[in-house]
Amino acid sequence: MIAATGLTKRYGSLCAVDDIDLAVHPGDIYGFLGANGSGKTTTVRMLLGLVLPTSGSIRLFDEAMPKAAHQVLPRVGALVEGPSAYRHLSGHTHLSLLDGMGPGGPRDSRRRRIADVLDQVGLAGVGSRPVKAYSLGMRQRLGLAGALLRSPELLILDEPTNGLDPQGIHEVRDLLLTLNRAGTTVFLSSHLLAEVEQLCTRVGVLDRGRVVLEETMDTLRTPSGRTVVHTPDIGRTLALLGDRAEQYDDVTVTVRAPDPAALNAELVQAGVRVSALAPERRSLEQIVLAATGPSADRVDA
Amino acid sequence: MIRVELRKLILSPRTWVTIALLDALPTLVAILLALTDLGPRPGTGPAFLSAVLSDGSLFPLAAIAIVLPLFLPAAVAVIAGDAIAGEAQGGTLRYLLIRPVGRTRLLVAKLLAVLAFVLLAVLVIAVTAYIVGTLLLGDQPLATSVSGSALSSSQVAWRTALSLCYATFSMLGVAAIALFLSTLSDSPLAAAMGALAFLIASTLLLTLDAANVLQPYLPTRYWLSFVDLFRDPILWRNVVRGTALQGVYVVVFLGAAWANFATKDITS
Amino acid sequence: MATIRRWCVVALGVALLVSLPVAISALPARDSEVSAEELLEKAQGSSDLSYSGLIESVGSLRLPISDHFTDVADLFGERTTMRVWWRGDDDWRVNRLSVGGETDLVHDSRGTTTWDYESNHATRTPTFDIRLPQASDLLPPALAQRLLEDAEAAEVNRIPAARVAGIDAPGLRLDPSEAQSSIDHVDLWLDPDSGLPVRVSVFGLSVEAPALTTTFLDVAIARPSESSTAFSPPAGVDSHFADFVDIAAAANEFAPVRPPRTLAGLARRPTTMGAVGVYGRGATLLIALPLWDRAADPLREQLATTPGAAKIPSGMTLAVGPLNLLLTGTAFEDHSWLFVGTVTPATLERATRQVFAHPPSLGHWVVTSGPR
Repeated sequence: MIAATGLTKRYGSLCAVDDIDLAVHPGDIYGFLGANGSGKTTTVRMLLGLVLPTSGSIRLFDEAMPKAAHQVLPRVGALVEGPSAYRHLSGHTHLSLLDGMGPGGPRDSRRRRIADVLDQVGLAGVGSRPVKAYSLGMRQRLGLAGALLRSPELLILDEPTNGLDPQGIHEVRDLLLTLNRAGTTVFLSSHLLAEVEQLCTRVGVLDRGRVVLEETMDTLRTPSGRTVVHTPDIGRTLALLGDRAEQYDDVTVTVRAPDPAALNAELVQAGVRVSALAPERRSLEQIVLAATGPSADRVDA
Repeated sequence: MIRVELRKLILSPRTWVTIALLDALPTLVAILLALTDLGPRPGTGPAFLSAVLSDGSLFPLAAIAIVLPLFLPAAVAVIAGDAIAGEAQGGTLRYLLIRPVGRTRLLVAKLLAVLAFVLLAVLVIAVTAYIVGTLLLGDQPLATSVSGSALSSSQVAWRTALSLCYATFSMLGVAAIALFLSTLSDSPLAAAMGALAFLIASTLLLTLDAANVLQPYLPTRYWLSFVDLFRDPILWRNVVRGTALQGVYVVVFLGAAWANFATKDITS
Repeated sequence: MATIRRWCVVALGVALLVSLPVAISALPARDSEVSAEELLEKAQGSSDLSYSGLIESVGSLRLPISDHFTDVADLFGERTTMRVWWRGDDDWRVNRLSVGGETDLVHDSRGTTTWDYESNHATRTPTFDIRLPQASDLLPPALAQRLLEDAEAAEVNRIPAARVAGIDAPGLRLDPSEAQSSIDHVDLWLDPDSGLPVRVSVFGLSVEAPALTTTFLDVAIARPSESSTAFSPPAGVDSHFADFVDIAAAANEFAPVRPPRTLAGLARRPTTMGAVGVYGRGATLLIALPLWDRAADPLREQLATTPGAAKIPSGMTLAVGPLNLLLTGTAFEDHSWLFVGTVTPATLERATRQVFAHPPSLGHWVVTSGPR
């Protein structure tokens, strides 16, 4: 669906995106993670043909971008770096103008489609109010509505939950999942790890213009081959397991043991009390932090 | 796409505020003329302004002559300067381009929308001026050409219509310049100021004998040639040249806008 | 890369658009083999031609402006655009165009109507032998007629052709033979078929740029329709008759003087019999104008503040390009003499000495009614 190879963007001597490869497959919810300034937005803009790569190629729907933009982009809905709308117009009129620009939005169904998307994003009640009266979250929803207007096969969303309250974030997540189940591929760029973790099936991690990790969520979340045991009997556990216990503190022991059931049986047999036991999974945060360097915002003396 | 641009134009409150402001000056002039009955001395003041004291139905022409040298082009510079830079500043440009809207087509649509704005403004000014003129100013139908021959009312009507079209068309050059600057800058104000600076320079150079060689190329050179449409017989030479010159300006600056904008990185 | 390529395309287009008119006008005009004498003969024989067209004259003579002479100053000092319909010497119309109006001269056998759009005035005046220059004197055919009058074959040479109003016009240069002349040379270009002068440039002594150029922008050498020279004042227009067009005509009629038969070695023209003396031939022209104090004093005041004007014992002088002017002091009881023409300052002083030595006064100013 999206295939980028060797994508590079230089602004003068600054290399914003450095030789990255991306692959988004149909049906994915692809999480594109990266700190502020890591090149996420530049990459998104390149995917959409707003910024031209210095070198490298992009294919959307197996067609070359930005050459085939006219055929490809009508099948894409996007939210780039925050929503924006004509402030003096109503949300409804704004969407109608937006839909009238460019191909792929048939006029006869426009009114119905606008009503549908406003309903989908939860703005049905304020569609006739001017955009300048909208709250930040409402504008974000309106931006999302604009992206959904033509029932795109691919959604490219840059920070879609920005400015939304927790309920709003939840609604958007549900909406995206529903759309994805109906066959929409989603490319989601975000710096919110939790959001990506809950939603995405694949992630790519960008750090200072380079992709440092691209993997399916399942692979990332496969058990690490260790089991975490919560027990009040730390001393006995350590004595029993010997050097299989790799880490421990007052209440938990991390044990190199791929099968938690077998370990549990062994501990119980030895009379160790187990209050909880689970295979170790690394959180996405740990994975990302391990893969990336310090924050790009950070400036050390 | 042009339909959407026109809708945007109509829906934008700024369009109407600008037109109202444009309209205010000739109306004020008409009121002052009606109160004082003082026409400009010959050779001074805008064209046709002395004639309206006896024939108020000529006031649309005088009104156009009043706004043409500065007011109308300033409004055009503001509207055209906003065309791309305004969308960029408001953040809507990126959403237009990923609809997708062809960039060259967007430029052309914007230019046409500006032209539509000028036409609208000129029409509103002309209609208001006609009403104000016939109500407040002289009511003896003169119907005299500049050359002193009599004109039938149908002749006056179509020559006036032609003048309005010419005045509208004359603004294309400024519009194209402002549009080009609008693709250079993300600030609508900067683009409008740039176009205005160009305009003022052109007006200044026109008064300078030393700039004789340049004068046929200056965008403002033939603006007031619509007066030639009221000579008898009509003197087409400058009207034709003025039209061609505006065409050249459109080609050059739309070309420059295209050269700059077609693969510009949109980072707004 | 693509951006650079596009800019190249645009730059190329601009270069083409700008250079095209320049290149077209730079194309050499087709010259013909015609000799200078033939051309002169043709030009002198073209006075009966009818024509119409658009004319631009550019004068670089900045005359000091006095109330009575503003129009003249505009004519010789500015760019003037005129439309002309010329059916004959007694049936023509010249419209002098301005940005917001026009001033038209419509002439027939009985007189001239002046129509001024901006002041909404029509004025009817009779025809005078002597008057100040007006727009119709700057038409290339009219000016050429005057300059080439009595010109001899020895005074003319061929110069390269020029394209004027779409005509490949062979050029002719006139070098006036009079020593008194302040005109270095006059360049004329003529329609090769009819001999109609289509461009005239007048050059002063030792100056590169022409003092005056008048040229057709568009020309049709055919008799314009009768309606094109017709004029009837529109209804509601101020219309009146004037006895005198200008101060020169008035002086010619009423000044109680008769200028001498020859002045500064130049013979008086036989066509003028009034108080104003016109001397010389072709490009060499000297006019002796008696001015009563009412007109002379403001002019004197104006001259006093004009840069370039000089006070000499016999009066004040001013040189504006090839045009020289001398206003005598108030040596005479109630009038002064204004000598003006395309002659050298020395010639003017010679004329002054002559007039002082033999004052041509005949009596007092009289007021009679002018001719109708």
